[in-house]
Amino acid sequence: MKKVVSVSLGSSKRDHSVEVELLGQQFQISRIGTDGDFNRAIETLRQLDGRVDAIGLGGIDVYLIIGQKCYTVRDGLKLMDAVRKSPVVDGSGLKNTLEREAVRTLAKKHGFLRPGTKVLMVSALDRFGMAEALAEVGCAVTFGDMIFTAGIPYPVTTITELEELAGKLLPELVKLPFHMLYPTGKKQEISDRDKARKFLSFYEEAEVIAGDFHLIKRFLPETLNGQVILTNTTTKDDVEHLEKIGAGCLITTTPELQGRSFGANVMEAVLVALLEKPTEMIQARDYLDILKQLNFAPRIKHFNEEKCLKAT
Amino acid sequence: MATHQEIRESLQAFLDNYQKNERLKTMNRDWDRIILVRATDVQFEHTISLKNGELEIMEGAPGQADLTVVSDSETLADLFYGDIAPTEPYMNGTLKISGSEDDILRLDFISLMIWGE
Repeated sequence: MKKVVSVSLGSSKRDHSVEVELLGQQFQISRIGTDGDFNRAIETLRQLDGRVDAIGLGGIDVYLIIGQKCYTVRDGLKLMDAVRKSPVVDGSGLKNTLEREAVRTLAKKHGFLRPGTKVLMVSALDRFGMAEALAEVGCAVTFGDMIFTAGIPYPVTTITELEELAGKLLPELVKLPFHMLYPTGKKQEISDRDKARKFLSFYEEAEVIAGDFHLIKRFLPETLNGQVILTNTTTKDDVEHLEKIGAGCLITTTPELQGRSFGANVMEAVLVALLEKPTEMIQARDYLDILKQLNFAPRIKHFNEEKCLKAT
Repeated sequence: MATHQEIRESLQAFLDNYQKNERLKTMNRDWDRIILVRATDVQFEHTISLKNGELEIMEGAPGQADLTVVSDSETLADLFYGDIAPTEPYMNGTLKISGSEDDILRLDFISLMIWGE
């Protein structure tokens, strides 16, 4: 049996383990949260190194791929460097391929994301593939990086401006402690009520809310009005909560395995274990080929088809 | 070591570049803050005031500051001239900023918006 483990800076409350068969091979896929404790994450990674087939890094990004540029998050790299023997990935390779394809599929085959659909992408610099694909299919996208990361109520609405801001900000921001840029550990369990209230209109005006689920959840209003949520890494409780507050539909880009949608890092680690190639040799094409063999497709869960906003 | 005059001029350069940046003014319309800038090795205390997106610089310390930026004169001058970014000196402790984490991050964003690549 192949063993894949995701070590996350996120809350240990979301820990789980499943066994699945993929392309005729048995997998045990586990997630270990370290509650934002960086040293514990490093220690856990060292313990697993060489004992598992692939490792995913969760709750943190290592590589932010923006167009032709790649920015390396310093804290993420420290975690990656703790692993010497097992292949280790952060999900960026899959975000750049699977999520891009997922948006295209939703637009072409499922009638979602029609031109002009108002999309709020809570953060785009961590999943530029999805951002580009949403713009490519003609959605009216608000990229919320300045709003939800820096607290600056400045909606970015074009890929060009997003890239320009990335060029100004990311070379320095990637050096900051990651917890300053993204909710880690306990912060993932609580919402930021002040900012949720302050930036409520961005959620209210959107027909689709897309991006990282921890960020979506952190600023989620008390009620929604049929919005489509396009994300991954949702648990059964998350799904129930979204339905309860009035989301119209949940689309997850990664497949559901025994009741939950796993993070991109976990799925990328699974693909790496299946490919059995050194990570530095893996190309986007490899991911796309194996995704096709696995028949991975976005999972669509309708909560309320009548109320579901016109994005559907 | 930078002189009082050099730090003052660097702050003026920071102000001039801020004033030219209409996008940054728009971004900061909701962020009224008083920032104290203090040097550790020369007598230097100035106040940066942000109100309705407009930035002003005044000699002396304010009654109460939302953020306090403290470093040696050379680092302050380099920082406000944009010769260095705030991240490295902040991370290695040369630059000390006190205030809420949200405010510190936002100040970092403003500085990078002015001087970033």
